[in-house]
Amino acid sequence: MRVVLAEDLYLLREGLKQLLTAHGFEVVAAVETGPELLRALLDLRPDVAVVDVRLPPTQTDEGLQAALAARKQIPGLPVLVLSQHVERLYARELLADGTGGIGYLLKDRVFNADQFVDAIRRVAAGGTAMDPDVIAKLLAQDERRAESTVARLTVREREVLELMAEGRSNAAIGQRLFLSESAVGKHTASIFGKLGLAPSDDDNRRVLAVLAFLDRGP
Amino acid sequence: MGLATPRPGAWTQCVGGGGSVRLVVMTGDWVVRGFVATLHALARGGCAVLSVLLLAAHVALMVPGFGLGLVFLLPWPFVVMRRATNAVRRLSGGVPLPYLPRPPAPAPEPDGRYQYNRRLYRSPFWPRQQRYLEWTLGDQATWRDIGWMVANPVVGGLLGFAPAALVLGGLAAVMTAAVGFLPWWALVPGLAAATAGLATAPALVRAHDAWARRILGPPQTRIGSLKAWLGIRLLALLRMLALAGLAVVSALLAVASLAALTASCLGFVVALPPVVRWTRAVATVRRRLADRWSGVRVDQPYRPEPALPPLRPDGLYEVGGHLYRSRTWTRYHQQLSWLRRDPATWRDMSWTAADPIVGGALVLGSVGALAYGFLGLVIAGLLHIVHAPEPPGLRVFADRPWLAVVTGVALAVAGVLAAPAALRAHGRWTAVLLAPTAEARLNLRVQQLTESRADATQAQAAELRRIERDLHDGAQARLVALGLALGTIEQLVEQDPAGARRMLVEARQTSAKALTELRDLVRGIHPPVLAERGLVDAVRALALDAPLPTTVTADLPGRPPEPVEAAVYFAVNEALANAGKHAGAARVAVTIDYDGSALRVTVGDDGCGGADPTLGSGLRGVRHRLAAFDGTVRVSSPTGGPTLVVLEVPCALSSPRTSIS
Repeated sequence: MRVVLAEDLYLLREGLKQLLTAHGFEVVAAVETGPELLRALLDLRPDVAVVDVRLPPTQTDEGLQAALAARKQIPGLPVLVLSQHVERLYARELLADGTGGIGYLLKDRVFNADQFVDAIRRVAAGGTAMDPDVIAKLLAQDERRAESTVARLTVREREVLELMAEGRSNAAIGQRLFLSESAVGKHTASIFGKLGLAPSDDDNRRVLAVLAFLDRGP
Repeated sequence: MGLATPRPGAWTQCVGGGGSVRLVVMTGDWVVRGFVATLHALARGGCAVLSVLLLAAHVALMVPGFGLGLVFLLPWPFVVMRRATNAVRRLSGGVPLPYLPRPPAPAPEPDGRYQYNRRLYRSPFWPRQQRYLEWTLGDQATWRDIGWMVANPVVGGLLGFAPAALVLGGLAAVMTAAVGFLPWWALVPGLAAATAGLATAPALVRAHDAWARRILGPPQTRIGSLKAWLGIRLLALLRMLALAGLAVVSALLAVASLAALTASCLGFVVALPPVVRWTRAVATVRRRLADRWSGVRVDQPYRPEPALPPLRPDGLYEVGGHLYRSRTWTRYHQQLSWLRRDPATWRDMSWTAADPIVGGALVLGSVGALAYGFLGLVIAGLLHIVHAPEPPGLRVFADRPWLAVVTGVALAVAGVLAAPAALRAHGRWTAVLLAPTAEARLNLRVQQLTESRADATQAQAAELRRIERDLHDGAQARLVALGLALGTIEQLVEQDPAGARRMLVEARQTSAKALTELRDLVRGIHPPVLAERGLVDAVRALALDAPLPTTVTADLPGRPPEPVEAAVYFAVNEALANAGKHAGAARVAVTIDYDGSALRVTVGDDGCGGADPTLGSGLRGVRHRLAAFDGTVRVSSPTGGPTLVVLEVPCALSSPRTSIS
């Protein structure tokens, strides 16, 4: 699998390169700046890109902007965005085009190599990988709001929803929560019912639906 | 109604034709239009008849209604008859409806009873009736309708029936002359009348509609231009008169100052401070009036009152080279030297002497000209002309009273015309001596800056202390733990690989926790979104995370300087948190805009209001932080809401940056 890597810190860039190579990825380009990234994405058309939000030369959200610009030209280009902080604002912008193939993770998630690589593979396959922090923020806020819909879910259903929003399949959720796949299926159906969403088998659409639902406030 | 627009066909028809054809077509078109307008006018004449009928009905109702006290008879028929006036409004070119909206049904109190005018009723019937009565009879439009009914039979009747009467009368004359009952020359006035009727019909229809709009439409809020013009001048004259009265006060103060100065030269220094204080009070009033009446801003020039000097080791206070034992005396001498050294004191004094002269001249030029022109010349001149028994002395133009009258009128008009200019000039004159000198202005600014700098440095120090504490107790401690764990793992890795692995998992968790803490800390110092996206998107991110549904509207042509952005960001954060905590609001709206010199952010919620206007401790900190940029925080929170927090920071914007959301 061909990967383009964008990270301005040398140590982290080299570390990620090693990690990816060790897991059988081919790092076709490891770049430092926003313009370089955009060029690499458009020229090389990798299977997946791993991008740091903040890049030189401006040290603002160059990486995010380059990724979004590339996805405008190549719709659905899988991009996994890494950042020191997660913002709902960015998550919303990344998901806005609705074509999937989006990951948005805290840099800390690299610590757990297996999960990180799993997330990259999910994104490359057109799925979604949202950081648990984003999901937690959304849920916490929804609870605080007066007409909370998530409050109507059972504890188990909420756990399922969280994992589902991270982009995991029913099988993976079942593994994590020690449930059978059919039991998870029942839970998801019940969640969709309570949230008023039409059930769907498609992983990516599930996340989009969940996020769209949680995001409709402001 | 489209009466005045020529039909496009009239022109296309005549393209190929000759001059005579064109003339015939145009004449025909004109006659048709005249006839249509006459019919429209006739319909409006019908309204005049209708208004007579309505008036009769109203009078019939009002006699028992008001005369016999059966007020409840009035409202419902009044409201029903509005249908007729509404039809007239539609006919008269769509006059907008002037009526107040109908009151809602009375809502019960918690105990199930209904309140009206501080009385409780068991059933909603009476509150509803009384509200209904208040709604109909309290509406100005009801009485304007009745005024229309009284006046319209004449005005509307004339305007509406005149064209038809002219046309019909003219045609009748023409007919009878043609048949031979009238002499042949009756044709000429007959035709003229008919033509006049057709020609004036559209204009009369327009006049009727304008009249209907004037009296049946909503009352005009704009004052008529002549009234406004006269009002402004009259107000200016009254103000000049008031200033003349204050000039007398200045003159008295000037005398008092002179006396006090003479006394203090003779060694009686006690006289000076009270006079200076009175002068300051009067001058302060005049500064305020200059701002309010003349639109000339005059700032306070006075130096701040000094604090008590530090106690010397020998227990004495030093003021200007003299040592005093008692505090009262120290303060007294301190004040004396403070008042004496402030140049504003001496400028105030010279102003009290000059104001009666300069200000008095301006008053004479406006109020004086009017008064003398009217009383001294016009009235006196007229009395001379009619040879009143004991005419007052006419000193100027005594032998030519007519000339005196004309001059008097001219003088009075000039006085009225000059009043606003005189008022403005008066304001400028006040600024000449009462405004702070450049030096005083600088002194004030320095004092202001010293205060805000002290605040800013204090806030900065506290912030650094907090960061230090957070790092020390948080990330630093975790890194120490991590180092320890790694050391242990190093030892364990040979002997107990399983234990080492367990410790590795723990170490990873520790490092993740340290990262989380660092992230929170960074967010508190300078939020990363702010650095990456600027103020608007950072506020959007805040709004997304806010506990209440929050909308953000922004109109910023560029980016404010970074420190301003950060200060405003934290201010908005605080305001949003407050709205979420105790406003009882359902939604919050944030607007960000720039008026060319200052960045303004408004945070408003639809909560119950009543927030403490002196601000909570959080917003007080925000105020200090913004003060470093000459920024301000204003809170408006009337009981019942809404609450508005307005932040304003003067700043320049840098080049625009495109934002993708």
